[in-house]
Amino acid sequence: MENDETKGAEVTIRLGAAAGDGIQSAGEMMMKVLARSGLYISTYNGNQSLIRGGHVWFHIHAGTRKVYSLGYGIDFLVPLTQLAFDQHFESVNTGGAVIYDPSIVKPHDLQQGVRGIPVPLGEIALKYDKRPIMKNTVALGALTSNLGVKFEVLADAITDQFGRKNPGVAESNIKAAREGYDLVKNLGAQSFELKYDYSCTKPVLTADYAFALGAVNAGCRFYAAYPMSPASPIVHWMASHAKQLGLTVFLGEDEISVINATIGASYAGARAMCGTSGGGFALMQEAVGEAAMTETPVVVVDVMRAGPSTGLPTKTSQGDLNMMLGISQDDFPRIILAPRDSADSFYTAGRAFNLAERYQVPAIILLDFAIGDGGYSTVEGLDPSFTVDRGKVVSVPSPGAVSGGWFRRFALTDDNISPRSFPGTPDLMFVAKTDEHDEWGHDLSDVNSGLKEFLPLRVKMHEKRMKKLESIKKELRLPEIFGPTGADITIVTWGSSANPAREAVQRLRMQGVSVNSLEFTDLYPLNESEIKRILQVPGKKVALEANYTGQFETLLKRETGIIMDAHIRKYDGEPIYPSEVEKGVLSLRKEVHAVV
Amino acid sequence: MVLKLTDVRTDLFNDWCPGCGDFGIEASLQLALTEMGIDIDKVVLFSGIGCHGKIVHWTNTFGIHTLHGRTLAFAQGAKLANPGLEVIALGGDGDGFGIGAGHFVHAGRRNIDMTYIVHDNGVYGLTKGQASPTQRLGEQTKSLPQPNINSGINPILLALSTGYTFIARSYAFNTRHLKETIKKAVSHNGLALVDVLQPCPTYNDIETKAWYDGEDRRDASGKAVPRIYDVNSQGYDPVVTSKMPQEDFDRKIEQIFRLSNEWGNKIPIGVFYQEEDRPTYADRILQRIPTYVEMPPAKQDIFGTDNKSVVDLAELSRELAIDATEI
Repeated sequence: MENDETKGAEVTIRLGAAAGDGIQSAGEMMMKVLARSGLYISTYNGNQSLIRGGHVWFHIHAGTRKVYSLGYGIDFLVPLTQLAFDQHFESVNTGGAVIYDPSIVKPHDLQQGVRGIPVPLGEIALKYDKRPIMKNTVALGALTSNLGVKFEVLADAITDQFGRKNPGVAESNIKAAREGYDLVKNLGAQSFELKYDYSCTKPVLTADYAFALGAVNAGCRFYAAYPMSPASPIVHWMASHAKQLGLTVFLGEDEISVINATIGASYAGARAMCGTSGGGFALMQEAVGEAAMTETPVVVVDVMRAGPSTGLPTKTSQGDLNMMLGISQDDFPRIILAPRDSADSFYTAGRAFNLAERYQVPAIILLDFAIGDGGYSTVEGLDPSFTVDRGKVVSVPSPGAVSGGWFRRFALTDDNISPRSFPGTPDLMFVAKTDEHDEWGHDLSDVNSGLKEFLPLRVKMHEKRMKKLESIKKELRLPEIFGPTGADITIVTWGSSANPAREAVQRLRMQGVSVNSLEFTDLYPLNESEIKRILQVPGKKVALEANYTGQFETLLKRETGIIMDAHIRKYDGEPIYPSEVEKGVLSLRKEVHAVV
Repeated sequence: MVLKLTDVRTDLFNDWCPGCGDFGIEASLQLALTEMGIDIDKVVLFSGIGCHGKIVHWTNTFGIHTLHGRTLAFAQGAKLANPGLEVIALGGDGDGFGIGAGHFVHAGRRNIDMTYIVHDNGVYGLTKGQASPTQRLGEQTKSLPQPNINSGINPILLALSTGYTFIARSYAFNTRHLKETIKKAVSHNGLALVDVLQPCPTYNDIETKAWYDGEDRRDASGKAVPRIYDVNSQGYDPVVTSKMPQEDFDRKIEQIFRLSNEWGNKIPIGVFYQEEDRPTYADRILQRIPTYVEMPPAKQDIFGTDNKSVVDLAELSRELAIDATEI
């Protein structure tokens, strides 16, 4: 944030159309153009749950300095339909522009200082195909010209997009784009020029893909899923790399089979993971308890969407935290991690596997639609080195570990972690049970249950599992501060809500507001004493999250007793915008609780 | 490997009700494993919730007592991760055909090489005798206040329609038949179902051992006339191949339909369907991943001597990330 923060250092673009118009691929091409011009990127995929029609959009925030979120307003709006114009024109910034086809879009009520740039997109597109499907590439040409990016970068992106499938299609698209580019250039309409560096490409990834990459890097060789937005990109990627990576991908009949098969694969010795969204996770819950009870490690990723019930399948939320805190019946240990962005997701996957195996517990990862599916962000310098820790896996019996042919799989130990063997290992035979059991895995639930001589053992076995949380919490990461330490206002975020907070902090500080943010990624178990110390700041604390009840705020209060001074909560399904955070923080200065 | 029954049986206290059909199933399973001389370290028993589930404690193999109804899902995951394991899943009729019916159906589509033995007694025994999915319409077992209002499902036909490649029925108290059937099922290359008719002496007072044995009907000499009969010993051949003429195949299916619906006076047991040439799930994976069987998920080296990941991240990220020259 100490970088050059002039207005010219960043740009926001929104392309809007109907589903089926190819707006997502156009958005990705534009993103590629900007990434290849050396800019940092953050995007949002304004999807609807339909295949054709309706209204979809793709938002790009790009900058010469790091960008984290969607930025402020829209500098360039490219509406391919009237609906796209009507939905977004009010967000166009002063000095911004609308590139539109006058035969399709009537740009009514444009604010002062917003330029309309009419380009006959459809007419140009029809020169190259019977249907005006290339109008979005013409628009990209116009947009690229406006941004002062050299045409070759766009031509390359188009070739990448279409070239492999059909060189002819790529060629026509390039010609169509060129017309749009030249037309705008000749209008002299170029309005914006950032400092581009064509020699420096900035790679981008969505959190879903980054997480998948991190998981296989960490040794994941079994992935199970049932189709569910917005987690499906993970299974798509895993399936298409199954051969290359020796992965087994299991498309279960439902999420119940998915998680049970995953736990089965882990029990058999594989690093195994499954993924879903909230509704699917709701079905998995009983089995998460099974993993904890049988002390079988499992990693589950929930890419959250707005609910409840079927909710808004293509919209975002941070509403599943309460479910993760209260998964299925009674108490058992679990780890809950919520990475902030793509790079974070990559590393979190590896940490999740090591933690799950070291402590033989379920590890839950919370991503969300905003960053997961279509939410690209720049990742630079990912460190591929990863140390695998499979915990207390044994392949030969140690003294006292085996008796009467049985391996003491659930031994009570000083650190509450028992040695673990995989089925098929000679001399280390054991049974595991979803019922309460003794150190050997045998029943405490039938003939011994309730007997006074067995009550202490039940207590010990239960405590053995629960006490792992004490060790886990010391290993988890404490929240990180963004901005200077010590501020009048601290925005408390978790997971992806860190991103809009960062941009708001930057903007507010330029206005002279003393503000920083505190970013939680490791949500449970919380290290209460350390967190209390960190949160004992003199300034006001405002919790920022995308749900109705303030689920993380409530967790903090429950675990540490710390009460926030205010909160900003959003639950309309759209991502949190920095402007909303800014507004909330400014209203807090007037002692008003803000709800956006 | 030469085994004795005592190698396979544990000495833990068994708390099934006296006279339970589970004893017959346990003994048959253990005898089958003994006689097969199987590598006992490679055997894993997966059970569900219900009286049957405790069998994992009384058998000297790896075992896991999973959630109610989820045995097949769990076992399939384990077998996929390590196809070198000899996977035997056990379930009850409530467990497998009620709460777990979805998994039963979809397991058939995959034809993973494993065995599924169902302890089928018509009631939910461990929860005091409610009508299970195989109890017939209008039957009223001991703890029902009214006759059963639902029809019973036919496990043989359900398995047939969903892709099981070995489908058999046996009887808990015919341990010789059951033992032999389990041996065939375990040896079968593909997904095998053994539906075991199992008297529940406590809650099923209709399909009792005496009833199956025909104690209520006697021939002229006063000998009981058993209801159970072995179809295979009466000449029924269960083998089906992909090369057989369509009309032979159709005739076989008609026969299975008729046989599996026989009930009351005559109850057939035996192997109803056996198909050896349908590709197993492992065969199908092998088509895509030639190294799958030797290097399945549970057997791969996921880290090198330095504990570092073995994945070539650079290559993956290059294609995955948009414009990853170097991540």
